[in-house]
Amino acid sequence: MDNPLDTLRMMLLAVLALPLVCAVVTAAVGCCCPGLARRVALLLALIQLGLTGSLVFLAADTLVARAGWTLGTEATTTYFEPIAVPGDQGFGNNHLGQVHETTWSLLTFAPVPQGLPPAEVQFYVGLDGLNVWLVMLTSLMTVVAILISWEAIQTRPGAFYAWLFALQTGIIGAFVAFDAILFYVFFELTLIPSFFLIGYWGGGPARRDAAKKFFLYTLCGSLLTLVGIVGVVLTNPTPVVQHKDGPLAHYGPLVVAGQPVTLEEGPITFSIPRLMRNVQTWADYHAAQVQRSTESATRTPSAEAQQALTQAELTNDRHRAVQVCLFFLLMMGFAVKTPILPLHTWLPSAYGEAPIGMTLILAALLSKLGTFGILRVVIPLTPDAAFLYGLPVFGFLGAVGIVYAALCAFAQRDIKLLVAYSSVSHLGLIILGLFTLNREGLSGATLHMLNHGLSTGTLFALLAFLIDRYRTLDMRQYGGLIGRFPGFAFLLFVVCLASVGLPGLNNFISEMLMLAGLFEGQHTQTIGYGLAVAGTSGIILSAWYTMTMLKCVLFSPHQEPAPVGETPRDLNRREAVAFGVPAALCLLLGLYPQPVLDTIRPDTNVIVRCCDQARVRAGYEPSPAEVLVQPETDADALTVPPTAVPPLPVAP
Amino acid sequence: MKSLADVQNALLAGAVHFVLPEVVLVGTACLLFVLAVVYPRRTAAVGLALIGLTWAVALTYSVGSGETTAFWAFVEGTPYSPHLLAAIDPTGLAALIRWLALASGFIFVLLAWPEIQDHNAGEYLGCLLVMIAGSSLIGRVNDLVSLFLALEMVSIPTYVLLYLPLRGRGEQEAAVKYFLLSILSSGVLLFGFSYLYGLTGTTNLGALLAVLSAAHQHAITPMALIAILMVIAAFGFRISAVPFQFYAPDVYQGGPTGVVAQIAFIPKFIGFVALVRVLGLVIRPQDGLPFEASTTLIPLVLWVMAIVTMTFGNVLALLQDDLKRLLAYSGIAHSGYMLIGIVVACGLPGNSTPALSGVDATLFYLIAYGLMTVGAFALILYWNSQERPIRTIDNLGGLGESHPLSAALMTVFLFSLIGMPMTAGFAGKFMLFVSAFEAPVEPPMQNLYRILAVVAAVNAAIGAVYYLRIVGVMYLRDPLHPVSSARRAVLPLFAACLCAIGTVAFGVYPRLIADSTQQATPLVEVPGNAAVVARM
Repeated sequence: MDNPLDTLRMMLLAVLALPLVCAVVTAAVGCCCPGLARRVALLLALIQLGLTGSLVFLAADTLVARAGWTLGTEATTTYFEPIAVPGDQGFGNNHLGQVHETTWSLLTFAPVPQGLPPAEVQFYVGLDGLNVWLVMLTSLMTVVAILISWEAIQTRPGAFYAWLFALQTGIIGAFVAFDAILFYVFFELTLIPSFFLIGYWGGGPARRDAAKKFFLYTLCGSLLTLVGIVGVVLTNPTPVVQHKDGPLAHYGPLVVAGQPVTLEEGPITFSIPRLMRNVQTWADYHAAQVQRSTESATRTPSAEAQQALTQAELTNDRHRAVQVCLFFLLMMGFAVKTPILPLHTWLPSAYGEAPIGMTLILAALLSKLGTFGILRVVIPLTPDAAFLYGLPVFGFLGAVGIVYAALCAFAQRDIKLLVAYSSVSHLGLIILGLFTLNREGLSGATLHMLNHGLSTGTLFALLAFLIDRYRTLDMRQYGGLIGRFPGFAFLLFVVCLASVGLPGLNNFISEMLMLAGLFEGQHTQTIGYGLAVAGTSGIILSAWYTMTMLKCVLFSPHQEPAPVGETPRDLNRREAVAFGVPAALCLLLGLYPQPVLDTIRPDTNVIVRCCDQARVRAGYEPSPAEVLVQPETDADALTVPPTAVPPLPVAP
Repeated sequence: MKSLADVQNALLAGAVHFVLPEVVLVGTACLLFVLAVVYPRRTAAVGLALIGLTWAVALTYSVGSGETTAFWAFVEGTPYSPHLLAAIDPTGLAALIRWLALASGFIFVLLAWPEIQDHNAGEYLGCLLVMIAGSSLIGRVNDLVSLFLALEMVSIPTYVLLYLPLRGRGEQEAAVKYFLLSILSSGVLLFGFSYLYGLTGTTNLGALLAVLSAAHQHAITPMALIAILMVIAAFGFRISAVPFQFYAPDVYQGGPTGVVAQIAFIPKFIGFVALVRVLGLVIRPQDGLPFEASTTLIPLVLWVMAIVTMTFGNVLALLQDDLKRLLAYSGIAHSGYMLIGIVVACGLPGNSTPALSGVDATLFYLIAYGLMTVGAFALILYWNSQERPIRTIDNLGGLGESHPLSAALMTVFLFSLIGMPMTAGFAGKFMLFVSAFEAPVEPPMQNLYRILAVVAAVNAAIGAVYYLRIVGVMYLRDPLHPVSSARRAVLPLFAACLCAIGTVAFGVYPRLIADSTQQATPLVEVPGNAAVVARM
């Protein structure tokens, strides 16, 4: 443990494994003495939160440092480099360095010659800027979910909390996975706890159908995603050159010493960072082949040269066509999970029937799995197709979703469904931001995942206040609660404003970044403006329906449904913590998002560089050179990059 | 140098050393039949059967890899390939198949306990041991005659097992149906074998395939196609592939649950292994497979069979209310998945070194399928009682609360059947998908393999509907009948626990078994030593 990285690795494993232990312990306690289950679950969740917090705190510095302010060459990588990877053997036998790869294998395929990456499914987990804050959000929201389920869950609380912890394991696992199959495993595993949480503890009479619908709908989508993942893995094996010592993996320039390199298909790999490199290398290679054959065909026109050109073009086109198919296959699972518009029909029943703690997890965390999957898997593994079809197809669907869901939200009389549709509307904006594929859009979308999780999660948590007291969320039965429950009204007001995107609260920053990304496009001009208008109108509409809801519930003449139990009081201590802490974090992130943005940026830049290459391959101008931002000189700024440093020389 | 006749004689004489555990099993079975007359007691019979199985395991363990060494020693210093001469071939799949057969034997003895009484214990367990011996032999037979013998060693005891309880009309119907169709399929198989023998003049599988593929270099023999179609049809009955599946739902519904668990696994197991052997997918002739995709339509026939089987099974399973019928259709669907690996292996060119050869994916899935299906039947056996019979899905209502442990185990099996991650079912499906995607995209099959993978994915989603329905009934519904407080046999529950542990362990860490399936199915090429064959 003398190596600080080893500590991080152990902590990451602990963060991943602890919820599973918690699940077992809580289930056991729930069987022996059900009364104690809640307290035990809360205690364990707090321990997990503390552990995650310290992991994030320790990792944040390393993550920021990777941006390349110290070593200019690092800022040109086009693949993820997670830190704190358990099983990372370092360079040679030296445990101090890291190679950002693991040696822990789960399933080995054919044996591979010495020196090539192994063809195996690995237990490859790690931290980078994209997932570190989402892991933190997961641990935080689990605590909130436990707190707001305190009174709502009366039947078998031990089992309820155990499933909640199991769900947490799945979500954290999907966030930290860097192996495509491992990611899929965790992604899919979240379905089992969700099924039981919705089906057994759900509120309404249709809870069983809601649970089954959610399960089957998501399973259908994610099975297609699995086919897509397998397809990407098999069409992009490690590129290999024959060397005198044997085959070597080759990611370097395609022309060495004036001679074009001939690549062969090596062993397959499931590691996402390696797959990113393979995808880029093969796309570049096929494009270079076309270029070279064109040159030779124009220089010495002959039948053979023409034939070689046709062959090269055919290969290149086929490669791209396959990638486009795989892009749509990969998107299916994530489009269902997010959800993107035509695939959202499971959502009203699942959100409506689920117990409020589960609804919170669905909105705050499970929907993020969808957008995170796009960020982690779809865009990096199919950059060319994402560049060509991302914004026109899914950006369009996202934009339609923004407006459609906003109108749906306006029509709802049940506050839970109103918030559910508002969540869909905001998620549409994240989809737009993701597919801008530029720095502002991607970092905005990544930040908005955190912000949306916080604000929407807290909004659902606040509804638990009303459910605990009145067992109904029908808007028409409420009115003038501001005089009755001032504390609750204040927090509801703040969180609603955050959700609307008031400056000074968290959503404003990320929404502005995403809109800036949409307006920025060189490649997205016509379409980008249209989508940006849709995005902006979504924000306006969200103000409209949210304010209508607030007016009705908080300000119109006082009325309230028949309470359950004794006369309802304002926030108790448990609720004050459950709602207050995330609301305070909304404010904090709204005022000072820079530390989060600094950790996110190195990794969104990786994706941007990866997509820039795709842009060049598609025949567009490369985007302007990267502007490196130094965070030290940038104490109070929100979004504006302050000092532009000339780009560092790129190592040959 | 030893002459060919010397080698042949030595191999013939040495063959007995390669089947010692099977000899022990059959010997124990004979003892059991005697014991059933002399001392008809359930405990004694089970004890003896367990002793026999343990002895076979000990023998298998002590032999280790010595078999293979001894096998090759017979031909040392001669130019002959033992694969072309020996009737018993202990290389390749053999060891793994034997271990699997023995392991399943222990599970089935545990399952047998609640179904046998003192008066039929000896016969029941004796038949079971013969079946185990037969399925263990399948992995190592290299001759048409011994292959048929091994297949019948499984079939004939099954008839007896189905007839043994003789309780009601349903059971008799199941037994008769299985008997007649099984006899028919054996006849068809023999017919196909006779053509194969007539064409090649040898009953040795390796030599037969070598001759066929050498002949098929020049022209396809229509007789060979008829023969192999007959053979596929006969094995299609055993693996319950469409259109040979009609018996399965009735037999599953009517038969005694313990025997149905055996029928759900053992015939499929031997059917697939025999198919792999007869198509030459593991020990491949040097001239390529006799029935390649480029020259014959046999792989395409298997492709169609795979798609129709999985879709038919899944769609009809959606309509079932009877639990055992549902598992029958689910078994048909899973046979369709397993055929994927066979189809893929048929299309691999000779010199390729794929990450997965298809056969290993099928083998892995077979193991996973066995664990989850036998586990599910074990739980039905455990829950079933006179006053509270388990027939329809609705009978399972509320088991999540009344029997938390067994319901949890059932949930593991059902999620594994769906193909949820961290279960063996997922690892198996994943390997099948990979093998299908990895197959070469060349004429004449082109993209058909990938279509197969996509169809399988859609089918897996359809399958989830009915498995999830069972989970929903167990956990999300109130019990319809009061829980019976009758004492239950614990042994099926113990067997289910073992299966569940295997399902989860192979799902979380697939290397436990995937490494051995891959080692068991190397793409070995046998030189088509025409001189040797001609002289035989």
